[in-house]
Amino acid sequence: MNEVLLLLWPKAKSIGNRFKHRQARDLIRPAVMAILALLFWVVIFVLFYKVLVYFKSIEILGEILLAKLMAVVFLTFFLMLTVSNIITSLSTYFLSEDTRLILSIPVSTEKVYLSKYLITLGHSSWMVLLFGIPVFTAYGSVYGAPITYYLWFAVIFLVFLLTPGGVGVMISMSLVNLVPAKRAKGVLVVLFILFLAALYLFFRFLQPEKLVNPEKFSELVDYLAMMKLPTSPFLPSHWATRSLFPLLKGQFEDSMFYFLLLFSTGLMSILTGSWICRLLYYRGWSRSHESREAKMKGTPLLEGFLDFLMRPFHGSTRAMVVKDVKTFLRDARQWSQLILLFALVVVYLFNFKALPLNKVPGISFYLENVISFLNVGLAGFVLSAVAVRFVYPAISLEGRSFWIVMSSPIELMRFIWCKFWTSLVPLLLLAEALIILSNTFLHVTQFMMVISTVTIFFITIAIVSMGIGIGAVYPRFRVEDVAQIHSGFGGLIYMIICLTFIGLVILLEAWPTYLIFMARIGHRSLSFFQWIEVVFCFCLTILIILTAIFMPFKIGLKRLSRIEI
Amino acid sequence: MIQLIDLTKHFGQLVAVDHINLHVKKGEIFGFLGPNGAGKTTTIKMLTGLLKPTSGRALVDEHDVVVHPMEAKRVVGFIPDQPFLYEKLTGVEFLSFIGSLFGMKRDEIQWGISQLLDLFELDGWGDELIESYSHGMKQRLVMSAALLHDPKVIIVDEPMVGLDPKGINLVKRIFRQKSQGGATIFLSTHTLEIAQQLCHRLSIINRGKLIAVGTLPELMKALEDKTGQRGTLEALFLALTGKSLDE
Repeated sequence: MNEVLLLLWPKAKSIGNRFKHRQARDLIRPAVMAILALLFWVVIFVLFYKVLVYFKSIEILGEILLAKLMAVVFLTFFLMLTVSNIITSLSTYFLSEDTRLILSIPVSTEKVYLSKYLITLGHSSWMVLLFGIPVFTAYGSVYGAPITYYLWFAVIFLVFLLTPGGVGVMISMSLVNLVPAKRAKGVLVVLFILFLAALYLFFRFLQPEKLVNPEKFSELVDYLAMMKLPTSPFLPSHWATRSLFPLLKGQFEDSMFYFLLLFSTGLMSILTGSWICRLLYYRGWSRSHESREAKMKGTPLLEGFLDFLMRPFHGSTRAMVVKDVKTFLRDARQWSQLILLFALVVVYLFNFKALPLNKVPGISFYLENVISFLNVGLAGFVLSAVAVRFVYPAISLEGRSFWIVMSSPIELMRFIWCKFWTSLVPLLLLAEALIILSNTFLHVTQFMMVISTVTIFFITIAIVSMGIGIGAVYPRFRVEDVAQIHSGFGGLIYMIICLTFIGLVILLEAWPTYLIFMARIGHRSLSFFQWIEVVFCFCLTILIILTAIFMPFKIGLKRLSRIEI
Repeated sequence: MIQLIDLTKHFGQLVAVDHINLHVKKGEIFGFLGPNGAGKTTTIKMLTGLLKPTSGRALVDEHDVVVHPMEAKRVVGFIPDQPFLYEKLTGVEFLSFIGSLFGMKRDEIQWGISQLLDLFELDGWGDELIESYSHGMKQRLVMSAALLHDPKVIIVDEPMVGLDPKGINLVKRIFRQKSQGGATIFLSTHTLEIAQQLCHRLSIINRGKLIAVGTLPELMKALEDKTGQRGTLEALFLALTGKSLDE
């Protein structure tokens, strides 16, 4: 164990050194981080609390819906954690710079495995932990759960993280051994296919159509019986639900059994991982350095397309954009994150496709349009999640080569604009596709379609601008792994600012949109005071959007011009 | 061509560069010598716009690096000591990127790339990703990039690090040719032999202060006056930086 701790020591020491010589003013950052994280938690907590209270109030079904939702949350976390662990472990075990040194010193493979397993777990799980705490606290509050629930939640959740970590490492170990040479790209293509399979399973486990469409059941009893069915009795997410849910009411029932199942599987996954590591790690590491196919045969199609697109732009702008696109497509560590993007989008659209709103009694034309409006916020959230991985790191991705930009005759403003446009175009396409497709599934009115597409257009511009601006304020040119860029302080600040911004825009647009929508439905015109309200709210929205577009850009540029490398 | 006026850089309490004054003429190969941590790289970073001076000015081709950075950078070719490059680009793509940043036309870039890859013996490697290059190859690629736009001023930080003897010989030849063609070369090194062979004038920096400037004979004369003995550049260097040959 001492050796494992020793291997973790440089990481821990590096973190410690960051705080060691801090002065009072240096404490601002952690203080701000803590406050923002707290605010973020409060928002997530309130949102979930409201949803859970609503579910609980539904007679007969309420309790079952809450249990089902918890199962869905755990299942989603499990799948996300597994994929995240596969990607992170590829970096920590095979791509990180310290691996060469570690493998050259006399430490057993098991110890290396365990230290890197803990690092992988830390990197890939903190985000889920951050989201999980307010969600499960909301559950506790709705049920007025005893203190034992919260204590057990902490234990169960930490134990729940073990299995996806172990599974993720095992999969990446096997993949690197199956695919010869250091073709991380090839490895990740296989990963991609695996993820598709996992996604398919995910939907089958969820059976969302059965959740919301009781018509297909001949009797209510059948429906309830279906709702009571476990998502999958063999998955840790199910065991976590079964061990945590009864504790909400202070009942232990089978909690201990499922907890022990979860715990033993977690330990078993670590042990199996260690065994697989002993068999495959060194071989995989070695093979990953044997054949390197670095010769580029050229990509005339892509180059021609980019050349055509960038023709109207200045030579240095063109060069910068082409460089960024090529680097992105050739760097598996960057484009592999598209896997997560793909998952997000598929799940997002599937949700709308699967929502049988017209088949559920009481769901009206009115509700479809309300959902459409809220969909803008949801799409904004998805876009923020995408942007924190692809837009926010844009400046930091220059890495140690940033000296090239700094010593070249390219204005920093132009440099930032290049980053902005390179990020904006794909994100805008994604945003509009999400909104238009989901609105089409919802059969919304033309008015709602226009409002949501226009709103998401400006929200996306602001999200990109904030990503570039805040990314310039918190550049990290010396990270070993690109995933570290967005998982730092700046990434968190960016996410929180994005969500606050989206919330504000939605909140401000909700009232005027409601007024106009109701007036159109009722075939009447707005009163004078209503017009004032509408204009005021829209003006305030425009002001916030403009601030969100220009302010971060200005601050980012100022910060970047002061950078010394 | 290069002028440093009271150039100073502080890092907190540490004075890395302390009121340096220098003037390097057109076509001159100027050696900037000093022990580790003397302030060579900091000075070079201020000259190339990577660091901002705490006070004083750095002028390149009469352009103040802080006030008119674009104009100053346009005439400079910079070769850093550590060649951090865009690893996912090929050599040709990287050079093409640099050429575009410096506002070169396409045909100029194409011609320049073929010439430089040939000159630096990288012509078989142009289509390989930079990540597969050795350290010496990366260094040669950086040199190609620095020379691509035919700069008036070449600023070099430790030029021979990572180069084999053949590469060192090649670089020396190129620097001499460039100097004869009118380019100014500001060369930071602690390889005294290189400085002795290449430079028209030398300066020695220690603990942020410039302690000697002149041609090699002038510096030798100064050493003789100080110690009463005739010696080598190494002896002079050690005498001025407060070390002895035995250390």
